Amino acid sequence: MKCTDASILLSAYTDGETSMLQGHSVKRHLQQCGNCAATYEQMLALRARIRAEAPRHSTPPELRARVLATLDAVRASTPAPVRPRAANERWRWLSGGVLAGCAATVLAWVVGTAVIDWRANEDLAVEAVNMHVRATLGNQLIQVASSDRHTVKPWLSARLDYSPPVRDFAQDGFALIGGRIDYLDRHPVATLVYRVRNHTIDVYVRPEMARAPPSALRTVRGFNVAHATGSGMDWLAVSDVNPDELTEFVRKLAREAGAP
Amino acid sequence: MFAVCMDSREERLSDHTTFEELVLPHLDAAYNLARWLARNPHDAEDVVQDACIRALKYAGSLHGNDARGWFLTVVRNAFYDWLGRNRPAELVHEDDEVIATRIDPSSPDPQHEALRRADLHALADAIEALPLQYREVLVLRELEEMSYKEIARIADIPIGTVMSRLARARGLLQRSPVLQEMHGHTLGASDEVH
Repeated sequence: MKCTDASILLSAYTDGETSMLQGHSVKRHLQQCGNCAATYEQMLALRARIRAEAPRHSTPPELRARVLATLDAVRASTPAPVRPRAANERWRWLSGGVLAGCAATVLAWVVGTAVIDWRANEDLAVEAVNMHVRATLGNQLIQVASSDRHTVKPWLSARLDYSPPVRDFAQDGFALIGGRIDYLDRHPVATLVYRVRNHTIDVYVRPEMARAPPSALRTVRGFNVAHATGSGMDWLAVSDVNPDELTEFVRKLAREAGAP
Repeated sequence: MFAVCMDSREERLSDHTTFEELVLPHLDAAYNLARWLARNPHDAEDVVQDACIRALKYAGSLHGNDARGWFLTVVRNAFYDWLGRNRPAELVHEDDEVIATRIDPSSPDPQHEALRRADLHALADAIEALPLQYREVLVLRELEEMSYKEIARIADIPIGTVMSRLARARGLLQRSPVLQEMHGHTLGASDEVH
């Protein structure tokens, strides 16, 4: 491989988006060419800096409230066709009543989730994603907020009939921010909440089940779901972080979280 | 369009449920993309509001598991429409080769001087200074962590174009002053790969 060919492929190579054959050629070229190897190192460093320094912006709370209020307004409106302009105006006069709108939406959400539960039980991954979404939207992501395993673990253990291994991986970029209790597959389950680059990862931990585990990786409604077993537990991670990293993380958890 | 207007109330209600269950969870992704494209919070909010109205209206056409990709496509379309209405000058649709020549370091064209300006203090500034076509693929890749295939679908370009735009976006960022402190003098070598 020549440097010119390598330079075109290097960026795709850092993204894991080259074909297996291309990947091999790039790898071999990097071992032989100091210049390209340096470029490659710089690309990795650039990625690390982008992820560390360029924020993934979160929705301002006022915007979220406005969107929810609009949803309510549209839902409550007559069957007349909804034109964008009409909805826009509704937004304006509704902004005064945002609080009332929020309360109504929360109620609608609670009723709505009951329906989701009933429909989704057929599939663990779907159920896990629903739970993740519900916790995120309902601002109930965390019931015990701490990065300290000695706080999170006893809190969870006191509410479950098992004791889930808990570990912070902040040094690897996966910071433990807390935990909560959910109901997965009709059983209470420990949920560990991690944060990586402003993405949230929910990890559901329960004693290893005898029956067949879900497939290793799935995408449900735009969220990735990765699964691993280890330390006597089933680990199910849900996030919009990229699938490779999520899989790697859940495997690492299964492998290392139980270690003293 | 006609079909949408003639929807029965029941069908529309189910679209609202789709919106709430499938689309709303990706509001952060939507805002993040709009924020990086529009480059300020106020305009980003307008874009996201418009996108939500569209998504509500067309939620019925959403199938399968790619809710995030679908919503981001809607956000991107809403942004480009907003851009056409508010900053039409930025909407010049450019050929990749043309952009590449214009921002070539040896080219004297002052318009894209932005990227080489010494007063860029933060990496975020350097990303905001990237041409729109490069900025959007970079944000989708690095911050939304999407695959080339998903990005290609959202930006409506071939996968090969995603690949070349990302490579160029990264090349440009590495030349920006913000990154110099990191690479020091090895920077020149990285630009010219033989």
